[in-house]
Amino acid sequence: MNTTTTSRIDYLPRSRRRALVVVALAGYPVAVAALAALKHTSLNRWLILALFLLLLLPTLATLLVGYRYARGRIDGRRARLDERDLALRQQAYALSHHVLTAILIAATAITEIYLTSGNTLQFDANSFWLVAMWVIVYLPALPSLMLAWIETDQPADA
Amino acid sequence: MPDSQRRVHNRLAVLRAERGLSRKQLADKLGINYQTIGYIERGDYNPSLELALTIAELFRLPIEAIFSLKPMTPLSEEIFREPPPEPR
Repeated sequence: MNTTTTSRIDYLPRSRRRALVVVALAGYPVAVAALAALKHTSLNRWLILALFLLLLLPTLATLLVGYRYARGRIDGRRARLDERDLALRQQAYALSHHVLTAILIAATAITEIYLTSGNTLQFDANSFWLVAMWVIVYLPALPSLMLAWIETDQPADA
Repeated sequence: MPDSQRRVHNRLAVLRAERGLSRKQLADKLGINYQTIGYIERGDYNPSLELALTIAELFRLPIEAIFSLKPMTPLSEEIFREPPPEPR
C-alpha cells in the first residue's frame, strides 16, 4: 500500500471502520453458507469455487484494512507506544476475548440444538478445512478488528 | 475510553495555545504521541495520574488548574473574578 492509502486508512472515521469490521466478521460465514447452498445446485464445481472466492474477497480486503489500521499498535511493533496506545491495546484484546467467547458459546449452543433435534453432524476433511480457515483467518485478526472498532475518531490536527 | 468512565475536563488546549505550542511539540516534550494530546483535549482520553502530573509540571501550574471533574470556567473569568466581600 502506498503512503496516501496508508494515511487514508489511519484517518478512517469510526463509522466506516465499524462497517468494515462488520463486513470482515460476517463475510466468511456468508461465503461458507453460500458455498453450502451452491453445493446442492447443478452448477459446475469450478464455478462454485470461483463464486466462493469472489465472496471471500470483501472479507480479505476488510481484514487487510483492519490489520493495517492497527499495525504496530496491536502487535507492539511501533517503537513507542504511549499510555493511550497501551490502554487501547488492552481494551482491544479484552473485547476480542469477549467476542470469541460469544462466538464459541453460540456455535456450541447451535450445534447442541441441532444434534438434540435428531440431526447428525458429518465432520469430514472439507468441514474441518472450513473451520480451520476460520481459526487461521480470524484468531490473529480479531484484536486488530476490535481496535478498529473501539477507537474514537482522531482529533483534527492543530 | 469506556462509556462508564467519568469525564475529566481540562484546559490543555488553552494552555497550549497560550504558549504557542503545537500538539506535536507538546507531545514531544511529554514523550507521548501527538494524537494523544488531541484525545485528551477532546475529553476522549483521561490521562494517567503520572501524565497529568507531568503536564502540570511542564506548565508550572497546580494540577487542579489544568484538570477537573467539573466543567472548567474560562481562565480569564477566574483571573478577573471579583473577590468575595470581606466580612466586617
